[in-house]
Amino acid sequence: MPRRFHGLKKPRVRQDWSKETLYNLSRLTLPPAANKTFFQQKWLAKSMTRAYHNPYVREGQWTRMFDRRLPSVVSMDHRYLARHDGSEMAGGRGAGAEVQGREDEEGEVGARVTPPKTPYMHMTFWPLERRLDTAIWRALFASSVKQARQFVVHGAVKVNGKRMVYPGYALNPGDMFSVDPERVMFATGARKRKRGSAVSEQDLREERERSRAAKAAEERGMEEGREGEESDVGMANLESDEEREALATKPEEEQDARKAMKNLMTRAKRILEDAKRQLSGKRQQELRAFAQSVRKTMSKYRPETEAAAAAGSESGSADTTIESLETALAEIMTKIPSDTLSTLPTSEQQAAITASASASNAQASPESEKEDAYTARKDAELLHAALERARANPLDVTRPYATPWKPREWMSAFAFIPRYLEVNQNVCSAVYLRHPVARPGLAEVPTPFAGETVGLAFNWYLRRR
Amino acid sequence: MWRWLNGPGKVFRKALPGSTNYMNAYDKQGNLLRTRNAGREAGSRRNKPEEETLEEDEETAARRDLENPDLTDEEPRDEESDARGGIPKERRSDMRPYPLNDQFSSQAVLSEELREELYTQVAVYKHDISSVAASFSVDIRRVAAVVRLKTIEKQWVAEGKRLAKPYSEAVLAMLPTTPFRPNTANPVTPHEPINDIEVHAHTRPQIFWPASESRQFTREDAAKVFDSKLLPADKRIPLPMLVDLERWKLEGLDRQERTKKQIEADDKARREEDEKVRKRTEWQARTQRVVQGRRWDFKFQDISAEKVGKDGRGKDAVGYRYGMPHEDRKRGMLKIPTSVE
Repeated sequence: MPRRFHGLKKPRVRQDWSKETLYNLSRLTLPPAANKTFFQQKWLAKSMTRAYHNPYVREGQWTRMFDRRLPSVVSMDHRYLARHDGSEMAGGRGAGAEVQGREDEEGEVGARVTPPKTPYMHMTFWPLERRLDTAIWRALFASSVKQARQFVVHGAVKVNGKRMVYPGYALNPGDMFSVDPERVMFATGARKRKRGSAVSEQDLREERERSRAAKAAEERGMEEGREGEESDVGMANLESDEEREALATKPEEEQDARKAMKNLMTRAKRILEDAKRQLSGKRQQELRAFAQSVRKTMSKYRPETEAAAAAGSESGSADTTIESLETALAEIMTKIPSDTLSTLPTSEQQAAITASASASNAQASPESEKEDAYTARKDAELLHAALERARANPLDVTRPYATPWKPREWMSAFAFIPRYLEVNQNVCSAVYLRHPVARPGLAEVPTPFAGETVGLAFNWYLRRR
Repeated sequence: MWRWLNGPGKVFRKALPGSTNYMNAYDKQGNLLRTRNAGREAGSRRNKPEEETLEEDEETAARRDLENPDLTDEEPRDEESDARGGIPKERRSDMRPYPLNDQFSSQAVLSEELREELYTQVAVYKHDISSVAASFSVDIRRVAAVVRLKTIEKQWVAEGKRLAKPYSEAVLAMLPTTPFRPNTANPVTPHEPINDIEVHAHTRPQIFWPASESRQFTREDAAKVFDSKLLPADKRIPLPMLVDLERWKLEGLDRQERTKKQIEADDKARREEDEKVRKRTEWQARTQRVVQGRRWDFKFQDISAEKVGKDGRGKDAVGYRYGMPHEDRKRGMLKIPTSVE
């Protein structure tokens, strides 16, 4: 383990999602080969590649794992196989007859399309991809191989349902590994600023930058700039007073049902605002409409929910308010038919509506008119979706990551999943389908280095220096 | 470093909505290459159709087309580009996370809908895994894995365990995905090549093999030349059934006949499998004597002492371990399991 892991003087690309690695990746070049001996070139290539490909595996261990036979596949076309039996390859002058009438890219008739070369050299480090810690990182369950290794050692990883504590376990094709979802969320989510708060540093920075930009725009006094930024300032202000209060208290702990609902609304707003920052104009419009409809629904059905809350619980405690709200929503959704707007009203439907209306609280069911029923259902659905989203991604100070959960910074530049893994992100499990292979034009071992560099490293490990 | 991170590198801080965000999609100044090219292309589309968009050589492009069929140079549809915030769709070169390595690109993963559909096809409709793999153009092993993982997911939902939904949504938004669009003209987008054969070690050496000109020297003969036991490519691919189906089609058989033949072939395969199992159990009954223990069954079987070979250390022989002490109890020797059942 080197002393300066992310040194900038000797830039090393490491297996992690850090900004240092990203920067080093951006200035990574082919090492100059001029006035270097072949040995020196190989040494440099080897040290570069090994700094990336799991430096925690000791060199002796790796040289024992190294194999000069590199796996590759060729994909066959079943239609071609059915049409020809292989003897056509002996046609013409012995190397296959020319195909008549077919033009290739240069417009040359009958020229053979040469398939791309198989990049064997890029597969040099494939045995390391079999290791459990590397596979966890490749499946995007940890932010670095080192962290993945820690997860394994700390017993958060299971292979085929059994706890596996060896990060060097070589996965076999068909092995399923699963990581504790809490750990995955911690590893990939934004980091908390402080122990007691759910806010992350990256959110704070964003807020700061936004307000700074707004201030700059104001100072400049630009007409079109101000309009856009003012709303942002407003948003920031809203966060600063109303939301802070809402975020500080959990709705489950709220005594008053109305307060709880208001709290919930604020949180729903926050969720939507989070989405807004990333989404385009059309989606934003939709979301705004959603927020409005939620407000409408709340005002419409508040009496009912409050009544339900009062009936259900003795002192309107904890989660009963929320649950009653949800049950009320479910009731609304079941009572009101789904496609009343499109179809013509039949007498049966009308009867059903009136029956349901009479069955439920009389004051709660506002109108039995078609349009209103439809919009109410839509509203209820939307609110339900918001609740679902809020429940899936709650604000919780006890979690070790910033909540509501957000991916950490710089992650997107490293986010890819190689084809030899099949990942289910919902349960934080993945299956190691097969060993990585090279195919024409593509090597499945992700490596940041050029073919020449990896080739030199391969040559180093051939042990004929 | 900080200058770079706050300058050109700033684009990598947050994910690009509705798109991947890899390093090769940007130039040195941190400008998205495809927006620049799209603007230039829009101006010169009439006279020079798509020349500067393709930066790689044509054969790799053709190859990648097969790999990632959804990455075409066609004009993006309006609602899609709106979801992406007006950014054009990624090109093949934009999918490379490592600028120096042009032999690696991020490949699409299965979208949530496609996974759900595969699970329904296999677990609910009880379709054959290989036929599902063929119709969705997804590797057989991947289909099996998807079903396995989905089963766990359903189990979690039934148990009321919390899924990592926000994580899943965020990650799938960052990755390229193979969509599944039911109720459209072409709902299935091919995900990956399904008929891959491994480059067999015996086929690596180049062999000069004179054969008479009049001879019909087929794939089967060529396989025999490489190794007497090597099978030809049409039998080594994971879905050899597809070749048979295509052959029957070429022979001019109509649909009903083809289905009939396929059912016959399936039945035959099943019968063979049953026969194998039966033979195995028969052999066990004949040669093995099982004594029920309290915790384990003891199985006794006759062995041949001749198997030890000349040096007495044959790998399959009984008593192989004698004379070759294991080192696994030595200090510092770590005994990592090689497989987990």
